[in-house]
Amino acid sequence: MRIIVGEGSCGLAAGAGAVHTQLEALIAQDNPRGVQLGITGCIGMCFLEPIVDVYEDDGTLHRLVRVQAKDAQTIYDAVMGGNLELLGKLAITPEDEQFLSKQTRVALRNCGIIDPESIDDYLAHGGYQAITKILETGMSQEDVIQQIDVAGLRGRGGAGFSTAFKWRAARDSQGEQKYLICNADEGDPGAFMDRAVIEGDPHSLIEGMLIGAYSIGASEAIVYVRAEYPLAIIRLRKAIEDATARGYLGEHICGSDFSCTLRIKAGAGAFVCGEETALIESLEGKRGMPRLKPPFPAQAGYWLKPSNINNVETYANVAWIVSHGGEAFAAMGTENSKGTKVFALSGKIARGGLVEVPMGTTLREVIFDIGGGIRSGKEFKAVQLGGPSGGCVPASKLDTVIDYNELAATGAIMGSGGMVVMDETTCMVSMARFFLDFTAKESCGKCVHCRLGTKRMLEILDRIVAGKGEQGDIEKLEDLCYAIKDGALCGLGQTAPNPVLTTIRYFRDELEAHIDEHRCPAGECRDLISYSIDKTVCVGCTACARQCPVGAISGERKSPHEIDPALCIKCGNCKTACRFGAVKVA
Amino acid sequence: MRTLAPVDLSLIEPALDAYADIPGSLITILQETQETYGYLPMSVMEHIAERTHTPIATIVGVATFYAQFRLEPVGKHLIMLCQGTACHVNGSQLISAAVTDELGIEDGQTTEDGLFSLKHVACLGCCSLSPVMMIDDRTYGSLTPDKARKILRELAAEDGEGDEAK
Amino acid sequence: MSITYTIDGVKVVAEPSDTILTSATRAGVEIPTLCFDKRTAIYGACGLCLVEVEGVPKLLRACSARPQEGYVVHLHTPRVDRARKTALELLLSDHTGDCRGPCKLNCPAMTDCQKYVGEIREGRYKDAVSTIYEAFPLPASIGRVCPHPCEDACRRKMVEEPISIAFLKAFAADKVEADGDPYEVQCEPDTGKRVAIVGGGPAGLTAAYFLRRYGHAVTIFDKQPKLGGMLRYGIPEYRLPKAVLDREIQIILDAGVEVHTDTQLGRDIDFDELREQYDAVLLAIGAWKSMPMRVPGEDLEGVFGGIDFLERLGLGERPTLGERVAVCGGGNTAMDCCRTAVRLGAKEVYVVYRRTRAEMPAADIEIEEAEEEGVTFKFLTNPIEFYGEDGKLTGMKLQVMELGEPDASGRRRPVPVEGVTEDIAIDNVLMAIGQGANCEGVTADLLTQRGTIACDELTFRTGIDNVFAAGDVTNRGAGIAIQAIAEAQKAALCINNYLEGDEVRARIPYFVKQEKTPEDFEDEPKQNREKMPGLTPEQRRDNFDPIYFGFSEEQALREASRCLECGCHDYFDCRLIRYANAFDIDPERFAGEMHDREDKPVVSEVIIHDPDKCVLCGLCYRICDQEVGKTFLGLYNRGFSTVVNPMVPDEARTFCASCLKCVEACPTGAMKSVPAVERVTQIL
Repeated sequence: MRIIVGEGSCGLAAGAGAVHTQLEALIAQDNPRGVQLGITGCIGMCFLEPIVDVYEDDGTLHRLVRVQAKDAQTIYDAVMGGNLELLGKLAITPEDEQFLSKQTRVALRNCGIIDPESIDDYLAHGGYQAITKILETGMSQEDVIQQIDVAGLRGRGGAGFSTAFKWRAARDSQGEQKYLICNADEGDPGAFMDRAVIEGDPHSLIEGMLIGAYSIGASEAIVYVRAEYPLAIIRLRKAIEDATARGYLGEHICGSDFSCTLRIKAGAGAFVCGEETALIESLEGKRGMPRLKPPFPAQAGYWLKPSNINNVETYANVAWIVSHGGEAFAAMGTENSKGTKVFALSGKIARGGLVEVPMGTTLREVIFDIGGGIRSGKEFKAVQLGGPSGGCVPASKLDTVIDYNELAATGAIMGSGGMVVMDETTCMVSMARFFLDFTAKESCGKCVHCRLGTKRMLEILDRIVAGKGEQGDIEKLEDLCYAIKDGALCGLGQTAPNPVLTTIRYFRDELEAHIDEHRCPAGECRDLISYSIDKTVCVGCTACARQCPVGAISGERKSPHEIDPALCIKCGNCKTACRFGAVKVA
Repeated sequence: MRTLAPVDLSLIEPALDAYADIPGSLITILQETQETYGYLPMSVMEHIAERTHTPIATIVGVATFYAQFRLEPVGKHLIMLCQGTACHVNGSQLISAAVTDELGIEDGQTTEDGLFSLKHVACLGCCSLSPVMMIDDRTYGSLTPDKARKILRELAAEDGEGDEAK
Repeated sequence: MSITYTIDGVKVVAEPSDTILTSATRAGVEIPTLCFDKRTAIYGACGLCLVEVEGVPKLLRACSARPQEGYVVHLHTPRVDRARKTALELLLSDHTGDCRGPCKLNCPAMTDCQKYVGEIREGRYKDAVSTIYEAFPLPASIGRVCPHPCEDACRRKMVEEPISIAFLKAFAADKVEADGDPYEVQCEPDTGKRVAIVGGGPAGLTAAYFLRRYGHAVTIFDKQPKLGGMLRYGIPEYRLPKAVLDREIQIILDAGVEVHTDTQLGRDIDFDELREQYDAVLLAIGAWKSMPMRVPGEDLEGVFGGIDFLERLGLGERPTLGERVAVCGGGNTAMDCCRTAVRLGAKEVYVVYRRTRAEMPAADIEIEEAEEEGVTFKFLTNPIEFYGEDGKLTGMKLQVMELGEPDASGRRRPVPVEGVTEDIAIDNVLMAIGQGANCEGVTADLLTQRGTIACDELTFRTGIDNVFAAGDVTNRGAGIAIQAIAEAQKAALCINNYLEGDEVRARIPYFVKQEKTPEDFEDEPKQNREKMPGLTPEQRRDNFDPIYFGFSEEQALREASRCLECGCHDYFDCRLIRYANAFDIDPERFAGEMHDREDKPVVSEVIIHDPDKCVLCGLCYRICDQEVGKTFLGLYNRGFSTVVNPMVPDEARTFCASCLKCVEACPTGAMKSVPAVERVTQIL
């Protein structure tokens, strides 16, 4: 029997560490059945964390969810007593199981299943077979790239450029020294796919990179990881050590002529470093300011040598493609977009987490069938794709299929996989402001359009959410948006207007309500709302008054309470505290 | 007022020995510096400039570009308040307001007693637990304003006890 | 192997190493850019060099894009213009400074005061005079009489007192005359076009001067026996010696102007004939009519119009006044009247004004000097009746006033104190409450309801094709001389444009401006304004001798050295302002938070950086790094907070050899070698 604790960052944040410690202590005391305690990465069902998987010896899985430290004894007793029915109250519900059962996993194939800290576990799950096959069967660089080409793999970082094209360009570029780089600077502030892959299956990234390095002729590979992902760095570092020790990295890999080293470079906190030329500058130890293209990295990248950059998810697909053949990958998806795509589903969603689905799946299927729709029975309003470079897709476009071109047609983008769901209480203007605040802070400051353009867009949105919008502001925003798209130097600036443009396109009425009527229809913008207590609903429990930080709520016990609007700071504590829905926002 | 301990330049020597001669290592060296001193003291940056033959303008330019680097020391506990999209959608502004109200500090500031520093950070990648904050190495998820206040009070109380024990 | 392509239809040949920008430059096609310099690696920050290429979906940065055979490149398409204008508008939305000093901007004629004050400080008097003549002629005269709006705006008053700009102007003009090296008008070759100017006052003379410079033939018609208009017939000798005026008029006439004096429109010449005989006509006939006060008794003997009174004096008469004279009004004409009355021997001279001293439009110095000369000011009084015996004035009844609520002009409105009046015995009244135009002889269709000539404020055109108007006679009515001169200066340009067949409008360029407060000058050492030497009140009371002697050279040099040099040193070389004006941008469109950093980083002993003027083109630090090899400057922070800074310990400053390459490379005034003020202070 094996007990596996899901220990990705969010599992740990939810308390998986304490569960593990407890179980470890109990098993250390007495382990009559020789139970093995192990760990795994994120299975992707973040809404159920911490998750503990109990495997019977025949492989039967009992998945336990929302496990707390206090449940450790129960699990221990059940496992040691051979009475697994005792675990029923912790077991995942059939409904929640749909979250996984409706997915198709390629990039995430091992996540939440194998022990990310064990190369043996990876090998046991078919790991390093793709690179072995390439080297042992003497596949040429072109043979490999051909498979990637047949697969139709496009960059999963957002822009969707053909991976095979990039690899060929880097391979054809003249130069003794070439570099293969992985962009793991996952910057979209609503996405965590790459983190999950590195934390849950670091060897698949290494293997994908090895195949890439082989294909372009690079002998040095670098993973540029966000510094905010300490666990990912630890696990990747161990994986590199293990792979090097087993001969999958270093000189003469698998006894061949192919040699490649891999190292980690920790980023230092700059969204713009997700842009490949800025990333290269950062790798060189400089300020992460984008370079002008041309030359492209394939010609002159890291230290001006031919370099290829892909993101984590792209590489995570590579070994699978080589093992299963490009056709198998291309069998999934749409004409333009092949294979699967991983999304980080979050926001006002009932079941949030990591979702991998074939291209061609509709947004509706992801959000409602897998994600279970909006939690707490509210109305779906929009889904944000692509983070600060993307946009909000409204309910009317829910049947859009996941496809680079189809999503671009909505004004959003495929993006790296952030999928943040919003309900009727989310203000779309505030949402646009949120993204502009992000891009303005993250603008490197080099080009005028981005440095000052995002700042001015933010200021206009600031005044709109404060009820101080002016007539003509929407038109001014639009004009600025198009000028920035045309004028900004890099992808960050060129796409920064997207969240604003989609808001204007789909939620113009909400913008107008803020500007013309000084009203926030979603009831979110603090300067435009007021809190009150519905006397007919209030039971006088005093819960709200106790939570009010400024003493703005008065009323006798068991009689209706009242909010003094002059004192109210609109913090929302009362609304959260009220169990009767008596606090109204207008 | 907190007093700053004098900066011991020798502490960074091992990192300089390891990286000074490897081109492109400036960020790594600065990360090591921050790991060592808790921030990037100007005197250490000058020392790095000398040892790596890098203009000081370049070093400070890099140090001020990346969000990770601090040119001032931080409080005992570093609160990193997630500003990710999911956290925003799930009310991170309310958490931010509560923390600011509780501690009397805004983003980038440190409490007068030197106990807490507040930093707004881009996504911590725990979107399903949003809103989230990270204090030191621990992540706290599914926050409410009230819960955030309690966590801060508990941490402050622990420190108070610790001080008395001394 | 070179390739060929076109930019806006111009054929351009490019070598393999060329970008669109470098090949265009060689072909003589200018593509705007702030951040490109061939000595440094391509940077691509400013976004001004964007071009659209047919068949290429994205706009390209000309500084980095390689042209391809057959490219059809456009520098102006709606997309390019939008992106480029937006970049300029965004840059100006965070560009804090003063393109030009407040003195210049507040001068109706936009005289470059900072420049000529600087030239005086450096002892280059001839240059100073030439600088003034770029804006208008008659500097010695105007320097003596101008109420100097320039000085009102001068920021030196936030330190102690404004620079004595007007007197410095008179000083420079007098100095070159005394040195026997007066200004000479340089004229363009004759164009064969002829312009008639009706009125030889400040406006007419200014227009004549500029039109001659443009090469047109000019004829002035004036009703008076001599030219000069109000400068001669409205301003008493003690303020403006007529010898000075004569000498300055002669400078204009020496440029070749035909003059017909004693020639009045409508009487001696016919308006329609004039406009038929000349290619263009400028009406600059001034405002010579004293406004009536509309109180009973105005027709009594002893009641004069103030301006009529001064005109008679100018014509050489010595009008007889009684012992007690009252002047009604609070403007400069009232001051001229009362001080003239004193000089003509009146024993008691009153100025009757319905508001208080604070509201008086007359220049402070005029009021002070009138008081010194014994004039009695009766504030908050308003004449309601003149009365007399046998048709001869003996006294006036004054309504006592008090100040009420502010009116549209912001001044508190005087309101009568019910039932309180005062009587004073007087022999004469001089009414100086305003002047109107006398447009006899001008076609009635051209007139406004107020009897002035209606003309467009930007083109100075009247309702008749080749007829223009300028000065006191136009819409706004009478003003100060420099306003009339300013109109004439622009009208001359418009007439020139009209004669050359160009767009007539006089364009007002855009300037970056900022607000300053006294706190900004707290550290400035104090140095008071030079006192103008002149006659004592006793010496000047019974004669018309000039009351001022003029600055000595030492005084002028000291005074000029007080200039704070508010206007940007780089104005004439600044590419930002040049593009801003060339591309017709709206600098206010993206108004928002602006940087206003107090400390201006010192780069070296002789280089100062102003981050608020910096456009972050990066040229200074890139030149320092890539060309000089010092990397003394660097970029700090990011996004909106990005700044170029030599933020290093003091000792490092010695590394900077002050090669000034950063200063030369800067496309704006953000990098500056130590200001001229300090250099000259060192020289002195």
